[in-house]
Amino acid sequence: MLQTYGTARAGTAPILKVEDLAVEYPLGKGFLWKPKRTFSALDGISFELARGETLGLVGESGSGKTTIGRAVLRRVAAARGRIIFDGKDITDLAGEKLRRIRARMQLVLQDPYASLNPRMRVLDIVAEPLLVHGVVRNLEEARPRVRELLRLVGLPADAHERHPHAFSGGQRQRIGIARALALKPELIVADEPVSALDVSVRAQVVNLLQDLQQQFGLSYLFIAHDLSVVRHISQRVAILYAGRVVELADREAIYTSPRHPYTEALLSAVPIANPSLQRARKRIVYKSEVPDLVNPPAGCRFHTRCPWASDRCRTEAPPLMEKAPKHFVACWHRD
Amino acid sequence: MSTPEPLLEVEQLRVEFETRAGIVHALNDVSFSIAKGETLGIVGESGSGKSVTAQAVMGLVDLPGRICGGDMRWRGRSLLGREGQRYGRSIRGKEVAMVFQDPMTSLNPLLTIGTQLCEVTERHLGLTRAQARGRAEELLAAVGISAPARRLGQHPHELSGGMRQRVMIAMAIACEPKLLIADEPTTALDVTIQAQILELIAELQQKLGLAVILITHDLGVVAGLCHRVAVMYAGRIVESADADALFTHPAHPYTQGLLRSTPSLDVVEERLASIEGTPPSLLDPPPGCPFRPRCPVAFHRCLEMPPMAPVIAGGEAACWWAMERALPENAFLGTAD
Repeated sequence: MLQTYGTARAGTAPILKVEDLAVEYPLGKGFLWKPKRTFSALDGISFELARGETLGLVGESGSGKTTIGRAVLRRVAAARGRIIFDGKDITDLAGEKLRRIRARMQLVLQDPYASLNPRMRVLDIVAEPLLVHGVVRNLEEARPRVRELLRLVGLPADAHERHPHAFSGGQRQRIGIARALALKPELIVADEPVSALDVSVRAQVVNLLQDLQQQFGLSYLFIAHDLSVVRHISQRVAILYAGRVVELADREAIYTSPRHPYTEALLSAVPIANPSLQRARKRIVYKSEVPDLVNPPAGCRFHTRCPWASDRCRTEAPPLMEKAPKHFVACWHRD
Repeated sequence: MSTPEPLLEVEQLRVEFETRAGIVHALNDVSFSIAKGETLGIVGESGSGKSVTAQAVMGLVDLPGRICGGDMRWRGRSLLGREGQRYGRSIRGKEVAMVFQDPMTSLNPLLTIGTQLCEVTERHLGLTRAQARGRAEELLAAVGISAPARRLGQHPHELSGGMRQRVMIAMAIACEPKLLIADEPTTALDVTIQAQILELIAELQQKLGLAVILITHDLGVVAGLCHRVAVMYAGRIVESADADALFTHPAHPYTQGLLRSTPSLDVVEERLASIEGTPPSLLDPPPGCPFRPRCPVAFHRCLEMPPMAPVIAGGEAACWWAMERALPENAFLGTAD
């Protein structure tokens, strides 16, 4: 019996479906540790993403949001669970088949300074996926497509002969987006794509991502820690805590009527750019004992901090339960 | 907010960096002052000069940079010139303390927390090792670190990011400073930890009567904590006002743009307003107002540098357009085209 977790578009087949995904990182291979020790980065992750939809993944450092993106792109192996892309199970794909699937899902990274090779021209950077996947035979053939891509992301036509250092942070992020778009992917995993950018430039890149989504029907897995940006860009939002999804719902539901105690605390901590509102707010504070993910606590991973924790929470992990239509919460107590 | 005795006054400060590509005008005529118990927020994007401002106050502007104009005074005495520099050394770290952005890199990974904390009080207050340890324990308790005695023997890597920032704050307040400069103190931290650190700063300020300069790119952080806010752009303060006034009636088009392009938690708009273009190069700034190339309301007058002038109650801005709107009878200052 498999639970579905809804998408913004009912009735259509989702582009991505993740079922009960778990990822574990081994801790040290040498003689210092017993080889069996692992870090449980993700546990029991399930969600769906519709075509043309944006799902925001929000969590603090160590919550596993980046690992979800990497697992979906098959860059880390799943310890358990399935990843289904466009109806095909890709969890165990390898070799040429995996390569072909990878062309249809691309990654946009956080740091536009570190993610572009400073010794390559923009042309080389954007053409590289085309060459690797054999779409074009040489750089000359790639040139018109690169020009087209640069125009799409709003870079000047002469950009392709220059090196990354000649561009500002926002422009570099546009180069990264152009590279991600080169193979006409259907899914883009955007890992903190605007976190390193200044406020005024951030808005430009967010708008660009939204325009491209409209134009090409792209699906985004939008990973971020900034709740305001996520609210702006996502149709649905998943809140992560210590490697588990604790709440998953339409963005309005998450932001206006959060149900999980952790989501409430997280939202109450976001500063608002309005002094009188900010002063009037009351922050919800819980004990700050972050669970040890090497020996994750039994039961709900939030129980060490949760004032409502009962014996059941300490022994039995709550699954995502539909507490309201399309509003999933992993909590035994909240309705 | 006018107070009789300002602690720090910065007047027409200019800082330049000599680079191979030419002279970078990092700070241009920056003026502000801060009094006891006051919190001043300095907001700006990368390259706006907010960190250089802090570095200048802390005497950390080093070659190829130099202070090439203006004045800084601590309790009325200049910090520039030979005499001023000596005076500066005697107050920095003691009366004026600083907290940096990245608690990972600003602590020495090889020394214990205790050693690093004791160093401050031994040097500035002349305490003995035993006294300093006692003081260090008090300080850790004051910044909300549990089991302080045990923490003193730990190394930075054993603490979380939020804990490290608390240690940095403990070091900064070790000598009971009058002014605390915090340069992006919460940028590297998660939101819930950020909220804790901001609350700690507010609490210490109340308890110790500290003046605080909070440097950040995040308007939300400023909104909760600051009495006054200065907005920087391209090495200049372009608007400075009481926090409430600034957020409700921003006068400068840049401030307005910044506030509009900050996505909000409570209102969802279809599309974010963005400020087109990018900040100007400080190597070769455009003539007149530095925001003119990106400004939606720029007119011919903007080719001339606007001075800071009062435009709203409790605030001033460097903008011809704002000036005209604020004082309609002054319309002769320029004619819109």
